[in-house]
Amino acid sequence: MSGVQAVRISIESACEKHVQEVGLDGSETYLQPLSMSQNLARLAQRIDFSQGSSGSEEDEPNRDWAAGGEEEEEEEGLVKFQPSLWPWDSVRNNLRSALTEMCVLYDVLTIVKDKKFMTLDPVIQEPLSQKQNPQVLQLISKKKSLAGAAQILLKGAERLSKSVAESQENKRQRDFNSELLRLRQHWKLRKVGDKILGDLSYRSAGSLFPHHGTFEVIKNTDIDLDKKIPEDYCPLDVQIPSDLEGTAYIKVSIQKQAPDIGDLGTVNLFRRHLPKSKPGALHWQTKLETAQNVLLCKEIFAQLSREAVQIKSQIPHIVVKNQIISQPFPGLQLSISLCHSSDDKKSQRSASEKQGPEDHLYVLEHSLHQLIREFHKQTLSSTMMPHPASAPFGHKRMRLAGPQAFDKNEITSLQPSEGLLEKIIKQAKHIFLRRRTARTIDSLASRIEDPQIQAHWSNINDVYESSVKVLITSQGYEQICKSIQLQLNIGVEHIRVVHRDGRVITLSHQEQELQDFLLSQMSQHQVHAVQQLAKVMGWHVLSFSNHVGLGPVESIGNASAITVASPNGDYSISVRNGPESGSKVMVQFPRCQCKDLPKSDVLQDNKWNYLRGPFKEVQWNKMEGRNFVYKMELLMAALTPCS
Amino acid sequence: MGVTCVSQMPIAEGKSVQQTVEILTRKLELLGAEKQGTFYVDCKTYHTAAATMGQTAKLMYVMHNSEYPLSCFSLFENGPCLKSDANCDVLMVKLKGFFQNTKGNKIESQGTRYQYCDFLVKVGTVTIGPSVLGISVEAEYCPCVVANDCWNLLMEFMQSFMGSHAPGIPSVFGNKHDSIYSPGDMMVQYMELFNQIRKQQQVPTAGIR
Repeated sequence: MSGVQAVRISIESACEKHVQEVGLDGSETYLQPLSMSQNLARLAQRIDFSQGSSGSEEDEPNRDWAAGGEEEEEEEGLVKFQPSLWPWDSVRNNLRSALTEMCVLYDVLTIVKDKKFMTLDPVIQEPLSQKQNPQVLQLISKKKSLAGAAQILLKGAERLSKSVAESQENKRQRDFNSELLRLRQHWKLRKVGDKILGDLSYRSAGSLFPHHGTFEVIKNTDIDLDKKIPEDYCPLDVQIPSDLEGTAYIKVSIQKQAPDIGDLGTVNLFRRHLPKSKPGALHWQTKLETAQNVLLCKEIFAQLSREAVQIKSQIPHIVVKNQIISQPFPGLQLSISLCHSSDDKKSQRSASEKQGPEDHLYVLEHSLHQLIREFHKQTLSSTMMPHPASAPFGHKRMRLAGPQAFDKNEITSLQPSEGLLEKIIKQAKHIFLRRRTARTIDSLASRIEDPQIQAHWSNINDVYESSVKVLITSQGYEQICKSIQLQLNIGVEHIRVVHRDGRVITLSHQEQELQDFLLSQMSQHQVHAVQQLAKVMGWHVLSFSNHVGLGPVESIGNASAITVASPNGDYSISVRNGPESGSKVMVQFPRCQCKDLPKSDVLQDNKWNYLRGPFKEVQWNKMEGRNFVYKMELLMAALTPCS
Repeated sequence: MGVTCVSQMPIAEGKSVQQTVEILTRKLELLGAEKQGTFYVDCKTYHTAAATMGQTAKLMYVMHNSEYPLSCFSLFENGPCLKSDANCDVLMVKLKGFFQNTKGNKIESQGTRYQYCDFLVKVGTVTIGPSVLGISVEAEYCPCVVANDCWNLLMEFMQSFMGSHAPGIPSVFGNKHDSIYSPGDMMVQYMELFNQIRKQQQVPTAGIR
């Protein structure tokens, strides 16, 4: 073999798949080829670590020993090639190799004991490696590939989120523009330099109030992108002037007594409960509307106080701080005050909580707003375009005054004669008079049960005039006693009473006058009721008078009286009813029924007995019956002979 | 605007114009009329430039009335009445080519305004420049707008303070029938009155000459 030149033969396994078995029919069953990792594992199993350990470079502490070992091996190698010289040579060789093995084992154990360079792991058994190893490897590889995929995904997500944030930024920018567009639709805006300014004032609607009322539009895009965007976030914000911040309203109240002069001008502010929200989050529309309302309130108050100073009235109007005081009626005061509460004034709020809004007249506040808008409209329409070049400036109707030959009265009616204050005072007077009238009627109705008072208020009325229909009736006799129907027209200063028969009585604003009038009407009603009842019962009315000149003098009005006679003329009843003295009922009996009548010498004939005799008073409070008319009916029935 | 009747009050015998006015106003005050400031009616006369018209010159009167402070009335004799803004006078200056001022053209009546219930009475002295020519009396019944409906009432009222000098029915009323009385009709009456007074003035002066 040594003489022949070596021939290189590469040996490969001819068949990739090992044949496991050959079937009887000649078919071969192959073993599934090992995968790369399985193959690797199998090859690793085959390595005999005990053989290669001496060649390992890591065994540095035992290097010299290992070198010694090599020398020995070389020696052994030399000895191997010698033929066996003596019979124990194989034994010696075996012992020697055993010694070497032992030394190596010893070295390995010392190294292992250190646990520094080598550790002992249990070698996985062949059958186990067949089953578990691929799974573990699979798991590891899957984990690895998953981690890779995850990394790719994360990278993509990051990129996505960045782009989303970018687009959101863009969107916010776009939102700002669309918000600005919406703002533009509702408010006047103009651009000054790099600022956008808006106009809150009512100047374009005809206001002459000098306040500029400018607000600034702010781009509110500097919000932190990473944080969650609040729901009520709005990219557009407005900055309103500091004096228009907060809420304001005009408080109108009518008070009975004048307060101490020390209280003047310190009107208690009570806050209206606005929906609580953060100042920044308030939507611009609400914010602007509130500010505009503040501006309008300020204008109303400025106008009112200007008029209050200019107008000369008998009792001068007082303007103190934020309050205007006027006296519409003696002992009564109308106070109009501007209540402006900004959010930061806590002290005012605490003061306000003491007093509620109970005396606030919302109707007048509303009509003040209405009046100022009318006023705006007037100023606006006065310079209405188009306008003829030859005509004088002014109201359109004023322009027509010349060509249509308006006389003085018509022209004066065109000119605005009354100011805001005068109008509102007139309205306040009317409201007060109406309330007092209602109270008077109600208190009378509750105090006096017989006769009854009914008041029918009209639902719709003018700001300066309202009407009420007052009916005076007796319970159970509503159908026959309709004589007293009063129409009360309540004006600004006076109450006009229109009677059913057309009489018109003008009462002043004094409460007592109306009360006296109603009392006298009620007293008259009783007598009227007796008259109506007499008609129904078949009695004859002998006399009737609304205003009797005889008897005790009444302090209110006049007493009224009626005398009725029974159907056959035997009896007669006389009723006198005064507003103060009450009713007095007397019955006249025929002469024959009066036992105690002294025999007269003159009237001897029997026929004179049919003459009427003296009157006797009926003890009215002892009569049965729930009211006057019922009692009267009973009395009449008792005196009517059954036929 | 009610129905008015404008008439001339002759000057009482042996009295000056001023005295006659005083007698009249005293009568009114006794009646219970209330003084309500003053009034004036003025009238400027223009004649049409003959050259442009090619016809006989027509007269045009431009009048003002304090009762209608923003208006100016321009009217021809028997012709239309134009109501316009008060600055019509300024326009007349521009129309110089067509309308020219007549001599002594401005005649006016000034006096006191009285109110007696529904009646308005204006007693004025008619003057041209400095010379006083006569007395004008205007009575107005405010609640009515149809002349024929209230003429009798108005006449009766005028008789109560003017006595026998109360005028007959104005010619304007005849034309109006039952239509609504307008401010123009009143101005026509003033114009006729002024013409009448002017003529009366001219007749005696002519006689003296």
